[in-house]
Amino acid sequence: MSLVLHVARAWGPAVEGEALVMKEGFSPRYDLNRVTGVITRIGHSAEGESIRDRILVIPTTKGGVAGGWAFNDLRHKGIAPRALVFGKLNPVMVQGAVLAKLPITEGWTRNALEDIRTGQRIRVDPAARTITIL
Amino acid sequence: MLRGEQGAAVQEAIAFQVEVGRFFGAESFVPITNAHVMGDIEVMGDGGFGFLERIAGEGAKCRVATDSNARCMHFDDVACLKPDAPEEAKERRVVQILRDMRVATTDTCINYQTVYQPKRGEHVAWGDTGTVIYANSVFGARTNYEGGFSSFAAALTGRTPAYGFHLDAPRRGSIAVRLEATMRDVADWGAVGRIVGHPNQDYFAVPVIEGAKAMPLSDELKHLGASLASYGSMAMYHLVGVTPEAATAAEAFGGRAPDSRVTITDADIEGVYRSYRYAEGAKNVVVFSGPQLSLFEMQDLAGRFAGRRVAAGMHVFVTTNHAIHSDSARLGYLRTLEEAGVTVLQGVCFYILQRLTEIRAENGWVNLVSNSAKLVNTITAHRFNTVLRRTADCVDIACTGVLR
Repeated sequence: MSLVLHVARAWGPAVEGEALVMKEGFSPRYDLNRVTGVITRIGHSAEGESIRDRILVIPTTKGGVAGGWAFNDLRHKGIAPRALVFGKLNPVMVQGAVLAKLPITEGWTRNALEDIRTGQRIRVDPAARTITIL
Repeated sequence: MLRGEQGAAVQEAIAFQVEVGRFFGAESFVPITNAHVMGDIEVMGDGGFGFLERIAGEGAKCRVATDSNARCMHFDDVACLKPDAPEEAKERRVVQILRDMRVATTDTCINYQTVYQPKRGEHVAWGDTGTVIYANSVFGARTNYEGGFSSFAAALTGRTPAYGFHLDAPRRGSIAVRLEATMRDVADWGAVGRIVGHPNQDYFAVPVIEGAKAMPLSDELKHLGASLASYGSMAMYHLVGVTPEAATAAEAFGGRAPDSRVTITDADIEGVYRSYRYAEGAKNVVVFSGPQLSLFEMQDLAGRFAGRRVAAGMHVFVTTNHAIHSDSARLGYLRTLEEAGVTVLQGVCFYILQRLTEIRAENGWVNLVSNSAKLVNTITAHRFNTVLRRTADCVDIACTGVLR
């Protein structure tokens, strides 16, 4: 049976994809090379990983207003993630996700960082406020 | 607006705001008096550029006073910081589009020091984290982070969804900070931002800082806020006895019990400086930026560099806005800095420079030393090895080339 996590609030269409789980905060400005879609911050837990078509599972946000435009541009370049799953977020992530039409969720009932592992396929369903590990 | 009777751009803006407001459970909109928009080609890319051109073409006009954040390139010729020519053409076009939309292109991240100071309780929509935290904390004005299209949408509709820091409850303190350290430099305030922000990354956390021994200056609060916003993603703090919603600690907490407590001593501040390590490298930069420098910071820095000379292998950059650049020229600060070998950039911030990763590699720069705790955090995707130092140390490092 697949494991289902519930989220506190969510926006966007339902999607499935491969999870990329981070251990620390994420900012598309501080951590990401926005030309290649690869995480380039020295020492980041996902350093060297591409975010393209992955569902990013992120405990917190860092900074920054860059996400307001950045997700839209990542989509334009074809290197956007498929969805954003946050423990805690700031409004910029929501503003950026809505502009880029990228599903986004905040808060989780179980600790998603322990339940979800990088490489697993997961389904994010904002309308149902669930994340399902497939 | 939603029916499109005020044009397609306004319709798109309000529809966007409704979606964002719904996510946060906003029940209404609040009218705003001022917007601060962030849009440069480095962060918006061709996707955002096309978007902006389209809504400008639909006749989008700001209906409240609106200014612009720092740009991603200076339009003066600095050989070691060359942007891509096609991107430069686009950035110039972005500036023109903003002006057509009735944005005053001040190109500044210190609008709160140089352009507009909202009053207590005044709702605004500001699109740069350092400006937001200054507005909420120091002025007692009310704004969320409004990134990307969000601040433009607010400028076009003259309103913003009422969630987060527009409401009373989220403004109450949640972290108790006892400041025992003696603060000696803007970098010390930035270090406090790192100590409080980094372990508490939470937009809705509001530190209440007690114990400041002297009245902090605007530039010090600027660095504190920029650092809290950068490390902690925070949008508000209270400084008891200093900021307007914190005459007492009890008022700042508003009956809410602190989630956590932290005490900051001199040793903690020193510990922040000791946590940075230099990497092997013959070419390095010292940067005074993030946020842009105020007029008094320019005056102070000119005094420190007067009669000295930037050492071989070092590059020194200062960023400020057009207004302060112009005044600094008139007052002679610029000449003093340039005679010392310092490069002063206007209308930009260092960490958002277009093609910075390539610029770093072309110049062979390894270490970046700064008195800005924000800058040493935000620039890391470009693979600089960053080091935070006090202003006097930064100047000494710049002029001796000795990394210490």
